[in-house]
Amino acid sequence: MTTLGDSLAASGVSRRAFLKFCTALTSLMALPPGVAPAVAQALAAAKRPSVIWLSFQECTGCTESLTRTSAPTLENLILDLVSLDYHHTLQAAAGFAAEEAREHAMKEFDGKYLLLVDGSIPVADDGVYGTWGGESFVDILAQSAKGAAAVVAIGSCAAFGGLPKANPNPTAARSVSDLIKDKPVINVPGCPPIAVVMTGVLAHYLTFGRIPELDAQRRPVAFYGETIHDRCYRRPFYDQGKFAKTFDDEGARAGWCLYELGCKGPTTHNACATIKWNAGTSFPIQSGHGCLGCSEPDFWDKGSFYKALATADWGGAKTVGTAAAVGVAVGAAAAYLGRKRQDRISKEE
Amino acid sequence: MSALDRIGVKVVAAEDLATGNVSALLHEIAGLLDTWVQKREPASIDLRSLPLSRGDYEELEAALGVGAVTASVDAIGASDVHETRYPGVWRVTHRNEAGEVVADLLEVCEAPAILRAPTEDTADALTRLREMLNYRC
Repeated sequence: MTTLGDSLAASGVSRRAFLKFCTALTSLMALPPGVAPAVAQALAAAKRPSVIWLSFQECTGCTESLTRTSAPTLENLILDLVSLDYHHTLQAAAGFAAEEAREHAMKEFDGKYLLLVDGSIPVADDGVYGTWGGESFVDILAQSAKGAAAVVAIGSCAAFGGLPKANPNPTAARSVSDLIKDKPVINVPGCPPIAVVMTGVLAHYLTFGRIPELDAQRRPVAFYGETIHDRCYRRPFYDQGKFAKTFDDEGARAGWCLYELGCKGPTTHNACATIKWNAGTSFPIQSGHGCLGCSEPDFWDKGSFYKALATADWGGAKTVGTAAAVGVAVGAAAAYLGRKRQDRISKEE
Repeated sequence: MSALDRIGVKVVAAEDLATGNVSALLHEIAGLLDTWVQKREPASIDLRSLPLSRGDYEELEAALGVGAVTASVDAIGASDVHETRYPGVWRVTHRNEAGEVVADLLEVCEAPAILRAPTEDTADALTRLREMLNYRC
């Protein structure tokens, strides 16, 4: 296997450009900027990993999020760094040739390849609701995970079951971590996840050779460590008690907090408020709609999107009471906590 | 007066409000500059890791200003570098080829690394320069 440094040099990327790339990566991974040269050194020496991407019960939205970028960006560069040996939607091969490529990669890179999965896995009636080539998704996942170094569950369906799992869950959809117990599983939820969050996780693995620090839901702390609410630009209005009551009232026009219109920002861990969407243009709250909470488990079944957290099934009054009481202090402390987290991560690395 | 004008839209951009975080940040920069002056230890702050509103950025830029050095670097997208009114305190903004900001830093050092020629590039430059000379002779 060639190193990443070799393949970058071969494609004419200067060391200065590579250093800049690593500075951006460091910022993306929420590490202190001072470690950028160390990241560059580690990354230049890293081997191009083999990646196998399996798509199960999904809508292809996760792949769309990753590949539909308007111009060559950081995420494309990172994608160029991996050897994507199998991906249904992107590969040219089909049928037996495609399956052969997967089996070949699994054999050659046994114990070393990364398995990326999007979509949930139906287990009802012996997994008959999801098959390809006569094999059930359940079997294909078990087979492919066997020799993987780690499994990355991309999107809320793979991470938590997502929409296929919504009540009454007719196919008995399961998440990757429901079925894979003997491998490290990293959840990268979101419907879809933000492209740079997906690639940031890969970059972290390449740089440090191991999986990033995870929270209780197995999500990387670097991207899911804070709530949408903590970083929301409408947060000052929440602190001042200024809320839009309907989507066309004075408060909505003035850009006030959408909490009472059902925004799930206070209980949703994701990076939308900082990284944003569509080349950094906006995110749901900025375009006037509350957060749906799509990176949290079972968001689809937790009551109306348009009911305030206190009345919806999101752990309700307790969470909200705490959020309201902490108020401004949380906002002011966010910077401190962010830095503290960086310090901790850098020490661990 | 058109029909549109009768719609009472009044936009208050929350992004423009200053949060008060800039004062704390300026004190931190002073602390880092003190360390640089005393021990020659460089440091940097990732601005995107802090909850700064647009108003905060304006306040920060007004407080630090632009000093004697301004440079631009073209490496997988543009990077803008300038020294603030306080020598040793630099603002470095990296953009990708689409023009999006991918890193925004305050660096406290003699000169940001992006401005220095990396050893690997200079070795490569020597090879290429010699090849060019051979071709000329």
